[in-house]
Amino acid sequence: METNPNITRLLEMLDNPDAYSGKEILDIISKDDETREAYRIMVAAKQGYRNRESGEQCIDVDKAWERLETHPQLSPEGSSSHPKISHSWLKIAVSIIGVLFISAIAYAACIRLGIVGWQTQKALPQSEQANNKEAIRSRTITRIAPASKQESDTIKSGLMVYDNVPLEKMLSEIADYYGLEVIFENEQTRQLRFHFVWNCKEGIDKVIDNLNHFESLSVTLQDKQLIVE
Amino acid sequence: MIDKGLFKELFYTYYGEMMCLAKTLLYSDDEAEDVVQDVFMRLMEADILPAEGKAGAYLLSAVRNGCFNCIRRKSITERVKSLYPLEIEVEWHDADDRMEKFDAICDFAENNLKDPHRTIFRLRFKEGLKLREIATELDMNIKTVYKYLSQSLKDIQRQIGH
Repeated sequence: METNPNITRLLEMLDNPDAYSGKEILDIISKDDETREAYRIMVAAKQGYRNRESGEQCIDVDKAWERLETHPQLSPEGSSSHPKISHSWLKIAVSIIGVLFISAIAYAACIRLGIVGWQTQKALPQSEQANNKEAIRSRTITRIAPASKQESDTIKSGLMVYDNVPLEKMLSEIADYYGLEVIFENEQTRQLRFHFVWNCKEGIDKVIDNLNHFESLSVTLQDKQLIVE
Repeated sequence: MIDKGLFKELFYTYYGEMMCLAKTLLYSDDEAEDVVQDVFMRLMEADILPAEGKAGAYLLSAVRNGCFNCIRRKSITERVKSLYPLEIEVEWHDADDRMEKFDAICDFAENNLKDPHRTIFRLRFKEGLKLREIATELDMNIKTVYKYLSQSLKDIQRQIGH
């Protein structure tokens, strides 16, 4: 029986995935149908053994119930005795404080930029105003470094399906794949959600073309940067 | 306000099955427990119990979705490192069918593969050893381990499909 070299490559990669980028991993897995299938079988085999193992394990339902019972909604007085849940609430509180803090900084930054822009426009001649506007623009746009994480909902035959996924997350993955940087010129655009099917075997020009079919979106490629207007 | 007695009954009836499913899909027992607890917490927050006769299906489906969300939050590298699926929607289109495939693959590996293929398969997917560790353990060349495992995967694909 002949061994498919692509499957050997897959097995090599699975022994040391840290040595590969997300793009390389996806390329190896979706090299051909047989390789893709081999990965699926390996996943199913692991899940199968896990299923047998977990079916044989004894589960302490009383202990689990005790843990749940201390949830404030079921027993308000018990909330403080539950470390895990208390920790969750603490995390939520910290997140809210974090969001408020970042919002405050962003708000302060916007006000500051606004003042700078107004003062400069009054003082400079028109030609310099244009240059200055460009400088301010370059400071207000947000740059996303190539994403270290590649998360996708579906990968099939090189297709990745983004279903109701924020543009920010979607484009950072796409840009990472093509070795590009994403620049959002408008903060609000980041959180727009789309249903988009990305064929990672297509060139970036074609992908941009597909993205631009969305009415609310305008994406251009300039010097290895995906500019989102 | 949710009836605590009924809620407790629901919990005791389905917790074991839900944990078994979560542990199958997530390879961390802690993550699995969090997903199952979260399903019950959300029931409490919604202040409503699933319709009688549909509770089991509802709860297991909620666990499945919770596990999938947990997997989606992992990076590609994290997923392949632990052998998590990359094509969740495609593979789990029919959950019952999927569970049967699990069983069929393990049965085939245990009953039809011959040694050393079976031992390699078991060490890789049951014990979680890396192939180079298996090569050392079995005192084999790594290339031979690759070859045997590739053959086993091909056999399974031919016999069971996926």
